[in-house]
Amino acid sequence: MAETENEVEVLVQRVVKDINNAFKRNPNIDEIGLIPCPEVRYNRSPIVLVENKLGVESWCVKYLLPYVHNKLLLYRQRKQWLDREALVDITCTLLLLNPDFTTAWNVRKELLQCGALSPERDLYLGKLALTKFPKSPETWIHRRWILQQVLRECSSPGPDRKEQGDGDRRDAAEKTRLSEHLHRVLHEEMKVCADAAGRYPSNYNAWSHRVWVLQNMAPGNLKVLHDELSSMRQWVSMHVSDHSGFHYRQFLLKALVRELSQSLSSSSPQHYHPQPSSSHSPHKANPHHQANGEPTAAAPCPSPPSPEDLASVPALPQLFHQEVELCTDLIKSFPGHETLWCHRRHVFYLWHHWRRDHHYGQGFGSESPQPNHTDAGLSSHPHTACPGGVGLDRVQRRNGQAQEGQDAMEVDGVGVPDPRDTKRLKRGPPGPCPPALSSEHSFVASVLDSCRSPEQGRFALAYRKWLDSVIGQ
Amino acid sequence: MKLYSLSVLHKGATKSNLLKSAYDLSSFSFFQRSSVQEFMTFTSALIVERSAHGSRASVKEQEYLCHVYVRNDSLSAVVIADSEYPQRVAFTLLDKVLEEFSRQVESIDWPSGNPDTINYKALDIHLAKYQNPREADAMTKVQAELDETKIILHNTMESLLDRGEKLDDLVQKSEHLGNQSKAFYKTARKQNSCCEVM
Repeated sequence: MAETENEVEVLVQRVVKDINNAFKRNPNIDEIGLIPCPEVRYNRSPIVLVENKLGVESWCVKYLLPYVHNKLLLYRQRKQWLDREALVDITCTLLLLNPDFTTAWNVRKELLQCGALSPERDLYLGKLALTKFPKSPETWIHRRWILQQVLRECSSPGPDRKEQGDGDRRDAAEKTRLSEHLHRVLHEEMKVCADAAGRYPSNYNAWSHRVWVLQNMAPGNLKVLHDELSSMRQWVSMHVSDHSGFHYRQFLLKALVRELSQSLSSSSPQHYHPQPSSSHSPHKANPHHQANGEPTAAAPCPSPPSPEDLASVPALPQLFHQEVELCTDLIKSFPGHETLWCHRRHVFYLWHHWRRDHHYGQGFGSESPQPNHTDAGLSSHPHTACPGGVGLDRVQRRNGQAQEGQDAMEVDGVGVPDPRDTKRLKRGPPGPCPPALSSEHSFVASVLDSCRSPEQGRFALAYRKWLDSVIGQ
Repeated sequence: MKLYSLSVLHKGATKSNLLKSAYDLSSFSFFQRSSVQEFMTFTSALIVERSAHGSRASVKEQEYLCHVYVRNDSLSAVVIADSEYPQRVAFTLLDKVLEEFSRQVESIDWPSGNPDTINYKALDIHLAKYQNPREADAMTKVQAELDETKIILHNTMESLLDRGEKLDDLVQKSEHLGNQSKAFYKTARKQNSCCEVM
């Protein structure tokens, strides 16, 4: 069936118009999709709107896409003019059919920069595209560009504001409004990532975007990090072979380790300067390093961990204990998933090294501050901010003097009296047992005893081998 | 970790008869759902037809696992799950459903009944409840009852078919599939794309 150029052009115009009208009729469209419909029906619109779902009948795609694609390219080559409105409509149509067409996103960047489009519009379009193409790299990349624009706007409000009479009050109100806005944007991003992760297993692009968002929109924010860790428990429990989901948890743990270690090493109130996180501490990862090589956004000043934040986040040993418990629970309930065993390795490794770094070279009750040392300053400062955490760390410091491999001692150490610590130990019951090499070996043994799946057995043996060769040095 | 469909069928001499089915298609793209549902029905019926009396099997097809139990009295159940869903819980579900169904629906109605005439209402509830395998509290029960070594594992649907039989032909002839689904299957196969068959 030979389509004349004219027939295709009419079809294209109709589709572009229908899509535009659909969005006008229903601003709550939340999903796009392809309708399997191989019969060509020129007389009917291939655009279908049902509830909040926008569908395109499959027959029209092979005519529509090359034509619109070509039209945009001609515009780019300056061989054909398109006004702003036409560009908005055409790029929208194009990207709903093929969101990996970088040129279309770039045209939209230009439209945004000259004010013909709002960032919210493109975030919405991207979100829709992801319902059908949850991995689309170009969509995620464009999304990050938009977020960088948003961040830039939020961190440098207009200069004329400072000219106002009651400038200070307005600045504060403005700051609150902006930070609330960012907060909403952040949560929306988390939602978009979660949706995309659910639509495609081990969706690396979605998860690494999630990491980027946290690194750029909430750097060092203890509360956000911990909330994410808590809220993701249910998700990973229902997606036990999603490597990327567990990798996200590993990222969160590492970030929490970094933040909590810093706070402990500079626990004196005067260390809490409102500074950009990149200059706050030598421990932070290079701020220019991104998960995907893209440049860091100009992040707003993160609020330093407040005493309330620190108090609401459990101490590191407890966090690790909880993570290992989660892993144990999942490994036992769902035998034979390598992802869970990999996660266990990561968590235990992180724990093992953190423990080593924070006890290695520690003095015998010495109070000289060391940069890495959790206990630096502990003995000389009152402990108002970190109840449970400090108590446990103190316990560990005592027992860290034991050799590697004799980790069973740590648990016992909780009850050992120390006149200097009576006050702190009385603060509350001792925390749960942090992970230890011996308990890991017991775990492996119990799995091997009760497992009925050959894969589970293999994974357990491999884990034991790893413990012996990597950890048990 | 998902369950997509749960069906009760009667294995007849030459064909299987669908008695009741429940679906959870929320994770599929909206416009694909009706086709997906048809394919799941088609697959469930085919698997029961090609499975022996008194057998349990798991059939792998793309990223799905279809678990089937055909009882000696010809009453059968199929649950279509993803590859994460624990097999043992799936079979516990099948046992439970068939036991309950056979108590509530007279066996005289099995060979000729259909979803409209059969009075069994609990299938949707079971499907919803078992979405979370741990909440369904199946784990403890399973240990004692199921002998996993007796579950046959098929790596493809093809392995259920007779020599020379083609899945494409069965799709074309099927009364479970509408024209749109059949056409969709054809184009998907031709393109060898990552579009799901089911």
